[in-house]
Amino acid sequence: MEFLNRSARRRLQGAPFYILLIFATVITLVPIIWVFASALKSNKEIRENPLALPGEWRFQNYLDAWFGASFDAYFFNSIFITVTSVALVLILSSLAAYSFAKMRFRGNQLLFFIFLFGMAFPLSAKLGPLLSLMYELNLANSRFGLILVYVAGSLPFAILMLRAFFQGFPQELEDSAALDGCSRFQFYLRILLPLSKPSLMALGIFVFMGTWNEFFQALLLINEDSKRTLPLGLTAFQDEYFTDFALSFAGINITAVPVIIVYIMFQRNLIEGITVGSLK
Amino acid sequence: MAQSFSAPRKRAASPRFRIDLMPYLFILPAVVIYVIFNLGPVLASFFLSFFRWDLLSPTTEFIGFKHYNFILNDDRFWNALSHNFIFLGLAVVIPVSMGLFLAVFIYEIRKGRVFFRAALFLPAIFSGVVIAYVWKWIYHPFAGVLNPTLELVGLGAFTQSWLGNPKIALYSTFIAYTWASFGYSMVIFLAGLQDISTDIFDAARVDGANFRQKLFYITIPCLYDVFTFVITLRIFTAMGVFGVIYILTGGGPFYASDVIDIYVFRMIGNYEMGWATAAATVNTVVVVFLSTGFIKYREWRSWSS
Repeated sequence: MEFLNRSARRRLQGAPFYILLIFATVITLVPIIWVFASALKSNKEIRENPLALPGEWRFQNYLDAWFGASFDAYFFNSIFITVTSVALVLILSSLAAYSFAKMRFRGNQLLFFIFLFGMAFPLSAKLGPLLSLMYELNLANSRFGLILVYVAGSLPFAILMLRAFFQGFPQELEDSAALDGCSRFQFYLRILLPLSKPSLMALGIFVFMGTWNEFFQALLLINEDSKRTLPLGLTAFQDEYFTDFALSFAGINITAVPVIIVYIMFQRNLIEGITVGSLK
Repeated sequence: MAQSFSAPRKRAASPRFRIDLMPYLFILPAVVIYVIFNLGPVLASFFLSFFRWDLLSPTTEFIGFKHYNFILNDDRFWNALSHNFIFLGLAVVIPVSMGLFLAVFIYEIRKGRVFFRAALFLPAIFSGVVIAYVWKWIYHPFAGVLNPTLELVGLGAFTQSWLGNPKIALYSTFIAYTWASFGYSMVIFLAGLQDISTDIFDAARVDGANFRQKLFYITIPCLYDVFTFVITLRIFTAMGVFGVIYILTGGGPFYASDVIDIYVFRMIGNYEMGWATAAATVNTVVVVFLSTGFIKYREWRSWSS
């Protein structure tokens, strides 16, 4: 390899890694590509040759799937529940995290520990009494009830993450703000939040994905078709159209596409939310 | 720590029991929602597992360990729990090592890091429901993609009913779980790798270390804490696996892929709240014991070496 210059040799050294990565990427993405391709085929094509690409692209499948179930309601519910939950989590957790990180008061450690406690439990540990409570409060089978459950579930992680971030703020910032006559709430609103935008963004996208995808609690608490979220609606749709292959594939894609779009737009924020929270 | 926002000095003269309420007001809304809709039900689940109660009647009667007696003598409970353990054993090895190797490969290349990271993480963004339906169709007996592919490459002997065969169903669901979870390990390992000082790798290159030596003597030891976190995450997801199995097999055939969360969900559906809460409590004890025990062990080992 002497005839190759330094940089060319460098590039060749990386070649095995590229080959392995391309191989892994193809294996990982093939199922998704196959589902998208199958959604454009006819049932006959799928049955006779499941591996082939669609002969003629039948976008009609998507329309049939959309009108075959209340996807408009599922979409509305998912958007409404997720957006409201994310907004509430960001407001409540940033307020609490500011207090935990920057204020001295009796019970600070204990209260923070109580929040941490909630991250140690598997989901099933609360389901029985939660269902009972939601019936008791008339919040079962309600979008509002589901929002409260999701917010309560996301708060421990959100507070943990933001507290660690707020602790990194220099004390001088608060001191000078206080000298200028800035109250603690004004400091939170005018200085802390604007300066934390990247962290709030990462946390928001992370909570958005978790809430949008949630299934177990929605399955437990919602039993009216008009109140189902997308994951829940997809199960109902699949149960009904299991023999209609093309529509089933289209239904999966209708549910998957919004997540893919959000992911493409906010990929860096999402991965930051996962890794920043985990490495602290 | 200097507290710039503590009460102004003149207030110090006012009665001593005057306390600053602001910190509590900031926390209050979060505490209320968290306690009512998360912590409260967890604690209630623990206490109510010692009572006879159901969803609709408020009357409760203390019965001690009766529910536990039933659960611990129920073969299906142990069957489900053992499947969680099989899941856990596989999950700490397969998705974790896949994530580690892919992270190392991405770290080794120069161009396209963001692309490969984003593409390989893609399955991890979906709901368990979407993942399960993608794999339900892959495994489908005749409209699926797996069996025809095996025949195409001359492995026709391996075609089978992936979700219908009781010996295989659990492992088929594990493959779907792996597809959706190695990306998490990968991005966390990658972030950990990028935190390692490049000086160490440069020194290793100067000394002529090969890929394997770098991996075992630098990368893996430097990622000690990251490993602890990644594996702890697997403990939680493997012990709490639900959506993927619920949709792919429902725990079947004949309970061959049943897991604790499906067992608990089934009990709730049958209004057997006592058994559901007892089983959930046992599972919680197992999970807390496993995760804190593992973290303590890792801390002890890094401290003692």
